Amino acid sequence: MQILAQLIVSGIAVGMIYGVIAFGYQLTFATSKTLNFGQGEALMLGSLVGWSLVAYTGYLIMLPVVLAFGLLQGAVVERLGVRQAIKTKSEAGWIMATIALGIIFRNLAENIWGRDALKFPSPLPEAPLSFMGVNVLPMELVIVVGALAMMLAVEVFNRRSIYGRAFVATAGDRDAAGLVGVNTSLVITFSYAMSSMAAAFAGVLIAPVTLTGASMGGVLGLKGFAVAIIGGLSSGFGVVVGGLILGITENLTGFYLSTGYKDVPGLLLLLLVLSLKPSGLFGKAAIKKV
Amino acid sequence: MLIVQGLVAGYGRVKVLHGISLEVAEGQLVTLIGSNGAGKTTTLRALSGMIKPEAGKITLAGADITGLPSFQITKRGLAHSPEGRRVFANLPVADNLLLGAFTRLTGSRPKGDVLRDRDRMYELFPRLAERRAQYAGTLSGGEQQMLAMARALMLNPQVLLLDEPSMGLAPKLVEEVFVIIARLKRERVTMLLVEQFAAAALDVADFGYVMENGRLSVSGPAAALKTDPAVRAAYLGAAH
Repeated sequence: MQILAQLIVSGIAVGMIYGVIAFGYQLTFATSKTLNFGQGEALMLGSLVGWSLVAYTGYLIMLPVVLAFGLLQGAVVERLGVRQAIKTKSEAGWIMATIALGIIFRNLAENIWGRDALKFPSPLPEAPLSFMGVNVLPMELVIVVGALAMMLAVEVFNRRSIYGRAFVATAGDRDAAGLVGVNTSLVITFSYAMSSMAAAFAGVLIAPVTLTGASMGGVLGLKGFAVAIIGGLSSGFGVVVGGLILGITENLTGFYLSTGYKDVPGLLLLLLVLSLKPSGLFGKAAIKKV
Repeated sequence: MLIVQGLVAGYGRVKVLHGISLEVAEGQLVTLIGSNGAGKTTTLRALSGMIKPEAGKITLAGADITGLPSFQITKRGLAHSPEGRRVFANLPVADNLLLGAFTRLTGSRPKGDVLRDRDRMYELFPRLAERRAQYAGTLSGGEQQMLAMARALMLNPQVLLLDEPSMGLAPKLVEEVFVIIARLKRERVTMLLVEQFAAAALDVADFGYVMENGRLSVSGPAAALKTDPAVRAAYLGAAH
């Protein structure tokens, strides 16, 4: 029983990270129906930039710099890879372009930081806290709180500020948003910036628990994508639940079956959701009133 | 206020408008009537920048706005209540109205009192006041039409483009929409109205243009068009 509780608790933190990455996919999908398939690389870059800074600045000052870097990196991806595809209404151009940019970023990172995994210093004590026999790392608590706080902040921005409402309006009807005076192509750039910022944030949250390195992005980006599909590309709440489901089932399979099959249940779930409810567990099927 | 000269536009290689010239003077209500597919909606879409004109010139309050993206045209004071209403279904009514004033809340246009203007909209469209907290997607067709008009008015526009405000509405609601249009006219809102209900449109308008196959055929004061035998036969359903 205690082992089960431990497995679940450890799955929560990594599940929240998947949730944050999936949340990033949702942001760009909302405004432009496109996705940044270099999302994992955005996470990796954020994490490595943070790694380079943290020795000099400490964790708290490093954080805003990494977030700003994420914003910039996302905007670059949109300008170079996505804008042209949207303009020419290309069906697949953005897929190839964002994958290509992701590979370029990974190569760049390998040349700057090398190919080895690096240890990211933890801002908090690394000794686990014990609650009724279940061990929790202080950093795992930070991950959960930080991830929820970030998603909540974006939600408040969307509901309360006029720019946030312009974001939601662009997601709802791009032409109509243009008609009320919203520069919708700027909103799309902004959604990419926010999406990469979320990934970079996830990168510096998870790095102290795992390791960081140029190759950390690929698998995380893919799992975040699976969570976005499982939870639904349109449901903010869905990615949290989807992330937790994936994080926990991974841990359970890793322990009770074999770590070799760790990634299987999540992908099975992905296939199941795609065949039974393609809009995701919590996704709304588009309702259109004519 | 709004001057259009030789406007040519369409979708891809399909040309819909073959040289449209029209004028809307300040404080006037001008209507564009014609049968389905004549190019009325396309005209409005080209004016507000939803599609790029291929040729011609559009002048708003003396400034050339030809070929600008729609958000910049809106910034200069042209509001468009589009075909199909296009309200933001995923936002509450109150937020839809605020977004109508987006350029006043963010840009260099005079800010005025947006919230006071929104209250004025609630007074003009009492149904919207009742539904202010509801998501726009849950409104009935008539309410969505009211919202689309109110959202456009929130710009305090120099010119208001209205595309088929009566489309798909019950007769009683159509009447209500035209009462509101008449009231806006009394308040000297400059409007270009596209309508299939030609008779009702000509009743309320100052001036009218008749559109046929992407060209303007007849134009004149609304009262004169109403008695024009050709217009009567083709659009007003008069007996032969």
